[in-house]
Amino acid sequence: MDLLQASAVSKRYGGIAALSGAEFHAAAGEVHALLGENGAGKSTFIQILAGAVRPDEGMINFDGAPFRAANPSAAQAAGISAVFQELSLIPDLTVEQNIWFRHEWRSPLRMIRRKALREKTLELFARYAFPAIAPDQEVRRLTLADRQVVEIAKALARDPKVLILDEATSSLAPRETEWLLGLATRFAGEGRLVIYISHRLQEVRQVAKRVTVFRNGQTVAAHDTASVSDDEIITEMLGRRMERLYPERRDTATAKLALKVRGLSAGSRLRDVDFDLREGEVLGVGGLQGHGQRELFQALFGIGKSRGSIELWGREMTARGPRQALTGRDGIALVPEDRRGQGLLLSKSVRENLTLAVIPRFSSGGILSARREKALVAEMMTFLRIKAKTPDQVAGTLSGGNQQKVVFGKMLLTEARVLLLFDPTRGVDVGTKGEIFTLMRDLAAKGYAILFYSSDQPELVHVADRVAVMQNGRMAAILEGAGISEDGILRAAMIEKH
Amino acid sequence: MTAADVPATDAAANRRRARLIDRAPFLVACVMLVVLLAVYAALREGVFTLDELNVDTAAALTLILAATGQTIVLLRGGIDLSIGGMISLGTVLAATRFGDTLAGSAIWTVLILLIGFGVGAINGLLISVLRLQPFLVTLATWSILSGAALLILPIDGGSLPGAWMSAGNATLLGLSTSVWLLVILFVFWLWFRETRLGLTIRATGSNEKSAFLSGVSLTRINVATYGLSGLFAALAALYLTTQTGTGSPTIGKDYILPSVAAAVIGGISLFGGRGGLAGTIVGAFILTIIGNLVFVLSVSSYWQPVVSGVILLVAVLASSLAERSARRSLT
Amino acid sequence: MTLFLARHRAILLAYLGMIVLLALTSFFSPGFLAGSHLRTLTVLAAFIGIVALGQTFVIIGGGIDLSLPWVLNCAAILMTLIAKGQDGPLLWVIPLLLVAGAFIGAINGIGIAVFGVPPIIMTLAVNVILQGGILVYTGGTPPATAPQLVQFLAVGRIGPIPVVAVIWLILAVAASFLLSKTAFGRQLYAVGTSAAVAEFSGVPIVRTSVLAYTLSGFTAALAGMLLTGYSAQAYLGMGDPYLFTSIAAVAIGGASILGGSGHYIGTIAGAFVLTILTGLLPALNLSNGALLIVYGVVILVTVSLASEAFSDLAAALRAVLRGGRATAGKEPS
Repeated sequence: MDLLQASAVSKRYGGIAALSGAEFHAAAGEVHALLGENGAGKSTFIQILAGAVRPDEGMINFDGAPFRAANPSAAQAAGISAVFQELSLIPDLTVEQNIWFRHEWRSPLRMIRRKALREKTLELFARYAFPAIAPDQEVRRLTLADRQVVEIAKALARDPKVLILDEATSSLAPRETEWLLGLATRFAGEGRLVIYISHRLQEVRQVAKRVTVFRNGQTVAAHDTASVSDDEIITEMLGRRMERLYPERRDTATAKLALKVRGLSAGSRLRDVDFDLREGEVLGVGGLQGHGQRELFQALFGIGKSRGSIELWGREMTARGPRQALTGRDGIALVPEDRRGQGLLLSKSVRENLTLAVIPRFSSGGILSARREKALVAEMMTFLRIKAKTPDQVAGTLSGGNQQKVVFGKMLLTEARVLLLFDPTRGVDVGTKGEIFTLMRDLAAKGYAILFYSSDQPELVHVADRVAVMQNGRMAAILEGAGISEDGILRAAMIEKH
Repeated sequence: MTAADVPATDAAANRRRARLIDRAPFLVACVMLVVLLAVYAALREGVFTLDELNVDTAAALTLILAATGQTIVLLRGGIDLSIGGMISLGTVLAATRFGDTLAGSAIWTVLILLIGFGVGAINGLLISVLRLQPFLVTLATWSILSGAALLILPIDGGSLPGAWMSAGNATLLGLSTSVWLLVILFVFWLWFRETRLGLTIRATGSNEKSAFLSGVSLTRINVATYGLSGLFAALAALYLTTQTGTGSPTIGKDYILPSVAAAVIGGISLFGGRGGLAGTIVGAFILTIIGNLVFVLSVSSYWQPVVSGVILLVAVLASSLAERSARRSLT
Repeated sequence: MTLFLARHRAILLAYLGMIVLLALTSFFSPGFLAGSHLRTLTVLAAFIGIVALGQTFVIIGGGIDLSLPWVLNCAAILMTLIAKGQDGPLLWVIPLLLVAGAFIGAINGIGIAVFGVPPIIMTLAVNVILQGGILVYTGGTPPATAPQLVQFLAVGRIGPIPVVAVIWLILAVAASFLLSKTAFGRQLYAVGTSAAVAEFSGVPIVRTSVLAYTLSGFTAALAGMLLTGYSAQAYLGMGDPYLFTSIAAVAIGGASILGGSGHYIGTIAGAFVLTILTGLLPALNLSNGALLIVYGVVILVTVSLASEAFSDLAAALRAVLRGGRATAGKEPS
């Protein structure tokens, strides 16, 4: 008897079917992976399980009874807890207040008992061997990885029968990832169910016994993980054979320096960084999350204050700031970390987003030329194959992959030949990922110089010419040629140096 | 994990430093109040006496009550302009409906408080159900309530029972009604902020979406938040009548922006989630003492808004600088 | 066309409301639509419209300007004080005060964009400082009367057309052009939609915001002087009603108070709606109190009609009427 059975589940948004007759069966005691491209219906499905969305049709049986949750709290009460990609933590509350939010112990005067919060938090941390996090720390002071860990604690605190982990490792360092995979295995071992969603097949293999694949809102396959190859799974996800995720690596780097950085420091998280980036080169940036990578990218782009020397194409950058960085062919462009918060005006059109950074390119004397703007937009939409009904479609209604293409297009239109790409494939479907890597190599071949951070190490290994590994705000090592491997990156990131 | 890379004592010291920076706006407000009091004491005898405390508290209490509601709304991340209308309506109703009997006063006191809560609850409903901006909704209800007050009493007038007036200006153990009310208010706050509702209001102001995903009903929280704000506006109106002895259909507008100013001077963030009532009370006293100073300096009373405005700017600059240095030390 | 309708629904609603109100008013007070009435209506709407012009830019940029009342009032009082009823000095007094208004606006903008002070607080503080300052300066006594020239600008006519209407028209065309056709306009919408995204895209945030507030100070000063001409004198508190009406006109005109949307074309309709209401109620024998109530209700109704929640509801209703299934909720993101 399966713990969770979903059959013929459908959900439509307006005219678009997000799910059409999806099937899902999972038994207690297993870690069950749910795979699919972005837009395959995974998110909608787990949102239904978590009570955030109501299905139009279909039957869900949970623990032997029909399941129907009107809202997230109802689902939690029934025993299903989800850890979503978008975190549900409150920045101004402490770790312990967050974990027990809305489930606090109270005194007869209805006041929250602080001591109970502390005790129960430490108890929970000890039970699942959580990484060390101070319970009285406000969440807004935590790193992204620590917030993810707290979010997991919050889900576990409801003592669920089903734990849904949606891309929960995307911001975790290897050590924490190992811990989470161990936790999932142990949790399932207690006779409960873990639904595990990840783009990283390696992890899926490591932890999940069974795997269900969604495509276009339907279930296309369900099997034992051991019985299928990665290629087969990817084929099932895409519906066609994926030629290659990673493009052929060509050595296109020249001797010309695009970027020469010496002694770059910013705050306490970026200390005295030196490196060179050559024309035609893709330089990867690796290391554990939160070791100065973000600060490096922001300092190069001129966000916040920094010290040290940055030479662009042989010329010292004196004034800093995005406006100074985005100065045409000799400038720097950034694809930022947070697509929705920093990259896109979600409520504005594709057109306005694409041309936002290059308004001077289609205006004279401060007056816009609609004709010239249209031409720029058309060119970029074709070049990147952005799938939008019209250039006037609102950017927020595009798929994740297409949104990221718009961000790329905005930066490419600046014609800057030094590109800073911060985790550009995050939350992007496999198909678009392949397109992005091919684009990066093509641009490098055209003489662009690319600095590329990824939280997914295989991407660095397969796409970058060299990989700079950061540790505690410094460059710990720069790996080249055969030295580039996941193992090598990890080792360079973890060896203590002072 | 970054926590493991930094020695534990450093982490604790960093945390203490960060907390201090968080409290900087409140501390700046306290320093400003102390400086103002020192200047006041230098200019005038008997500043640090019970009499002075009684008088100043009586002068500040209406604003404090109004600003308490505003504080709750600001913590929720909203703003309530309608308290101006509610205060006017409250004084007008009290001055025209209390009559001479105790029963009449008692019934109408309760009714006015209910109206305050109800009007606030309607604000909350409009904001959540129609997904409208608090600024606009409360701007509209401010207009509506002011209109209602004008319909009831077109010009200042009416009267309050003598017993009501003397109850509002009595003394017990050397302390006036206003001081006792302030003490009760603060005790209420110490309790309220530790309740689940208090925490949830603050949490919702900190991040609405996260709160929703954690099972908070935004409609219920908005009804509670704005309802409380309306309730405190009604309390402010009732207390105000004990000081003025009349009803005024236009007096409320004098409390809208000062209530926001008192809270902001005291360190409440306009972005929700941070600050407490102690700051607001300090802020309200700062605004009141400025009035006293202008009086003892016997300069034109028109200096009062100038000084208040400058203090408001200094306070908010201090908090925005603190915010920036906090951000810098973290990233 | 449907796309245009969808995008500018809020603005169209404002015009629809204006037409309905006009029809209602002419029903209750016949002769309302006569030329002379329409002229008065336009003149009164022009004052609101001019003050609300700057407010529109500020709100689109994601801010709000609460300093308008006393910027307006200071300009009015200083003009009468300096010109002392003579036309001659106006040649330099008017430009000087326009620059002064713009300068106050720029200070607002700098406090907000450079020092990070929340707009409500910054402009509120500037408002009370100006209020106190001008009161201290004048000692609270009403100043001299308005020079003839500003009276002509405010109540005079060129043929059948009021001068102030011509001024408003020129400003309206300029404002619409700025918003729709210039780099500044495009950047203003971007800053109002998301300051972070605008910053990461190299948009000059400080310059854009400061410009918007500068414009707001400029139009407030202009309106102050024109109003002085209209009432033939400057008086203390003459700007106070315009805080409410300027924000109300922008909101009724379909702009989101959160910034990033709306247009001055909508604000024009908002100014007319408010003015027609002021004229309608006396015709119905209603008092000032009733007018305030109606103002509040109109703001609530127009803003609700333009809200997302309402369009969701309408979409659901249409689906039900068509016999389809009503699917509430947002698109997947």
